[in-house]
Amino acid sequence: MGWLLRSLAGPVLWAVLFSAVYALHGIGCAGGWQNRPFFWTDLQHAVLAGLWLTGIIAHLILVRYLPSGDGIKQFLIIAGTVIGLVSSAITLFPVVIISSCLSL
Amino acid sequence: MTDIPPNKAQRALHLHRELDKVWADLPGLRGFFTSVNHGTIGLRFMATAFVFFAIGGVLAMMIRAQLATRQGAFLSSELYNQIFTMHGSIMMFLFAIPLLEGLALWLLPKILGARDMAFPRLSALGYFCYLFGGTTIVLSLIFGVAPDGGWFMYVPLSDKTYTPGVNADVWLLGVTFVEISAMAAAVEITVTILRCRAAYMPLTKMPLMAWYLLGTAAMMLIGFPPLILGSILLELQRAFDWPFFDITRGGDPLLWQHLFWLFGHPEVYIIFLPAAGALSTIIPVLSRTKILGYGAIVAAILGLVFLSFGLWVHHMFTVGIPHMALAFFSAASALVAVPTAVQVFAWIGTMYEGRVQFRLPMLYIIGFFATFVLGGLTGVMLAMVPFNWQAHDTAFVTAHLHYVLVGGFVFPMLAAVTWWMPMISGRWRVAGLGESAFWLIFIGFHGTFFIMHLTGLLGMPRRIDAYPDNPEWEILNLVSSIFGMIQAAGFALFAFDMVMQWLFGRRSWRNPWRAPTLDWAMPLPAPSYNFASLPGPVHDNATAILPLAKGEGLLPGAPRGHRETLVVEPASGKPDHIAVLASNTALPVLTSLAIGSFFGLMLAGLYWLTPIGIVATLVMAWRWGTIMGVDYDPPWIEVAPLLTLPTHFSVTNTLAYTGCVALLVADGTVFASLLFGLGFLNVVAPNWPAPETGWATGMMGLMALAAFLVILAATFAGRKAATSRDPRVWTRVGFVCAVLGLILMAGLATGLDDPRRHAGDALRAVMLGYVAVHAIVVAMLALRSDRDARTGRVGPHRRGAIPAWQLFQRFLLFTATISLTVVVTQEVL
Amino acid sequence: MRRGPRKTSARIWICGWGLVFSMTLLTLLLGSALWVGERMIAQGDNVIRVQAHASRYNWQFTQPAPDGRLVTTDNILFVPAGQPFEVAIHSDDVIHSFWVPRLGGKMDAIPGHVNLHRLQADQPGQYAGQSAEFSGPGYRDMRFTLVAYDPADPPKALTDAPLPKALP
Repeated sequence: MGWLLRSLAGPVLWAVLFSAVYALHGIGCAGGWQNRPFFWTDLQHAVLAGLWLTGIIAHLILVRYLPSGDGIKQFLIIAGTVIGLVSSAITLFPVVIISSCLSL
Repeated sequence: MTDIPPNKAQRALHLHRELDKVWADLPGLRGFFTSVNHGTIGLRFMATAFVFFAIGGVLAMMIRAQLATRQGAFLSSELYNQIFTMHGSIMMFLFAIPLLEGLALWLLPKILGARDMAFPRLSALGYFCYLFGGTTIVLSLIFGVAPDGGWFMYVPLSDKTYTPGVNADVWLLGVTFVEISAMAAAVEITVTILRCRAAYMPLTKMPLMAWYLLGTAAMMLIGFPPLILGSILLELQRAFDWPFFDITRGGDPLLWQHLFWLFGHPEVYIIFLPAAGALSTIIPVLSRTKILGYGAIVAAILGLVFLSFGLWVHHMFTVGIPHMALAFFSAASALVAVPTAVQVFAWIGTMYEGRVQFRLPMLYIIGFFATFVLGGLTGVMLAMVPFNWQAHDTAFVTAHLHYVLVGGFVFPMLAAVTWWMPMISGRWRVAGLGESAFWLIFIGFHGTFFIMHLTGLLGMPRRIDAYPDNPEWEILNLVSSIFGMIQAAGFALFAFDMVMQWLFGRRSWRNPWRAPTLDWAMPLPAPSYNFASLPGPVHDNATAILPLAKGEGLLPGAPRGHRETLVVEPASGKPDHIAVLASNTALPVLTSLAIGSFFGLMLAGLYWLTPIGIVATLVMAWRWGTIMGVDYDPPWIEVAPLLTLPTHFSVTNTLAYTGCVALLVADGTVFASLLFGLGFLNVVAPNWPAPETGWATGMMGLMALAAFLVILAATFAGRKAATSRDPRVWTRVGFVCAVLGLILMAGLATGLDDPRRHAGDALRAVMLGYVAVHAIVVAMLALRSDRDARTGRVGPHRRGAIPAWQLFQRFLLFTATISLTVVVTQEVL
Repeated sequence: MRRGPRKTSARIWICGWGLVFSMTLLTLLLGSALWVGERMIAQGDNVIRVQAHASRYNWQFTQPAPDGRLVTTDNILFVPAGQPFEVAIHSDDVIHSFWVPRLGGKMDAIPGHVNLHRLQADQPGQYAGQSAEFSGPGYRDMRFTLVAYDPADPPKALTDAPLPKALP
């Protein structure tokens, strides 16, 4: 069962990160963080981007250290960790480029 | 050691008679109500689903007739609203989900090499809940009180103010009743795949169909709870005026949309995955090769299962959500196309590599490709926010979702039905009919729905019943309607083909498609017990049909007169023990009637009588437990020479235990959804915080603390009972503590503010209710353990209900800690 | 039908087509969609602001006349052509959706929330609008007209309007 859990770790981390960023985004917008300047950006973007980057680093650690075993088990662990990394990178990259609390 | 020597060969006919006597249903009507055999229940699920499909189809034809001309004088607005709502609801909840459950129940044990599903009685319970709930929903149409708010039941349109009648209650209660079958199936499928495989079939080598269904079941465990919670909350609002979605009292209609689509989008993939499983099973065989990229497909399933939970908001792009949040979900919606693309290209590659035989199932697979790929592309279009804004809620979306669901589910399922029909009926089909049906369906479908993209781009909204001022939509609608009728004729011909095959087809020979999987390692039609002896490392594919029938496999025959099947370790498939499964019983149908009485009383508005339904359900649940367990140590069973295994009575890591874990995963998701609702309303809804309360905070905190301590004590008792040689003291302590906890919670409840005052108060009451319900379950399990301990059902190896009790007790401790903290802190903050 | 089976590589089908091809295409698409979306955002700056109040089955609009007075109308909305305007959309019964197909996408009217929607009509003229969220038996008749007028020639309905009713 160990390899199955290892292959689930990446996607689970994505799920946690995705929920956390989405929740924090809502809380930030409710708290007006987007109007508080923070160096060259605003508090909202800084907090979200910080969380995102932390998550990406955690993903990279998983990609580097989780794979073990051989054959299809190893393949599935590698696939799982990479799926997690790519998912977090692509679904959450808007935190750095998109304006935060304005609706379309 | 993965080598199991074969058993001695016996006479196949003798084995067949011995097994059939044990596994067959009772004759006649009694058989209908007492059967628990997965073959019977699975087929019944599928047949019932197709009946509902026909009803939903007739409704679709009425919609098309109405829209054929712009005046639409055929139906009144009120009736039209009921009809399109029912069409969507029936197709989703009474056709698609039950059909895939039926396929899974019928197929899984066969393809995995087992004799039955892990929980036969649960299969039957699920079926009757589905049958009774579905029938109620459809009957409401006859009485003119069918749901009429659209299949996603947006509030406030579906609340008491704007739907004063019983219409919305029919949907909420009926669908929730039916969902019991979905949860039952999800638990069963998970446990069966993980633990009821052939000996030494590792997860990494099981048929792809099993991986797909494992993904489906996992998604159902996580995906359905938000809908179930949402339905409960909305029904509480309608019945008792608890304002979860009422904006003036701290609720928010958007909460419903979140909960609904948290279920609704994964639902699409829940439907798609089993269909894709059928494709991955059929395509390689009809291409006379092996599937390309087994590992990549498993990885794609893994990706889909997770990513599909990150898209729900794309159904809500127009509700006024900040652009950044939209961007997350837009990106996830685009990304989810990648695992789908991996699968599609793996299938195309497989066909390219092999030699495709254009037999009937393959025609439906070609139909799948042509349809589903288009639906996927319009899906990517809709994932893009600017385009979505234009096309949202127009006929374009209707066209898209029919391409995805008919392409991604109906065509593969028709392929699956024609594929497995010889195993069901034992007969080969009548030539020609099936091909004609396919072409009628295919041409009819594209004629109807391809045109509908254009209608949508011309601006026709969905759900309007007439368009007197828009003559430009008329010709397109007329064309759609005409092709719709052709499609209907095709489905009728398909049904006719099935009947003809059953009545007049010639006897099919064994394994007619020359498939490798174990489901074809049995005589046709499939016998009630599947395998006379179970497959193992020596007999691991369809060529083992004769040795298995002669009893050379594992656990041959039924010499002890019990329904026995092999249970393995989840990952490796190493044989672990023998499960003795339930035989024919009327308990499931009686239990579903008891549950149904609760739903019926709720529907009738007789709220003060509903405790009768609850008590009836509890009594039945108690009966369910009394026939489990034995008061002696059953002897070990010789499965093969040199391999002797205990029965499940003597081990703790039983199927039931794994099932409890799966159930608690779903239960935990209900709880998580509840916490999401609380957080969401706190942050987003206007009219927060809740008004001040007058109650003594200190008193309340004290009571909550007492309740927590009592539950902690019960958990301790459970732990002691699990290891103790004589647990009678501990079981009794556990039971008393659970009852004490319930009393304390009742005291706490009297101190809460009126839940009708504010959504915050209502949520608090629900949290307390959630804990109380689990405390009741735990009390019953503790009492059951106590009875077991006192009637000799607990011994050094036999633990009775204690492991299950301990598991639920810990879950209660966990959720109660959070809930009680929330209840008290909300008072303070 | 073809001759015998042929050899092919899983790498080409799964990595090449399944991953690289699909991800390239989707990334390009997503990037452009986000860019377009970012440009469409209502900034809340000083553009003309009109109110759209939806109820079953009627649209009530409040718009500024050229002299700044607020004028309330039913099922007809006046905006000057050639300049952006923002619609503040709200409802207090069920959910509706504001949609003028020729000008842009939809935005929902949700009880308890006010949604802003930025649009612009380049040419003077009449534009058909309708609700795009199912709201019950009268849903199909929930239509309105958006009139984009030449700023130099405001319509009589605005200039001659009586004093406004109270704002919703």
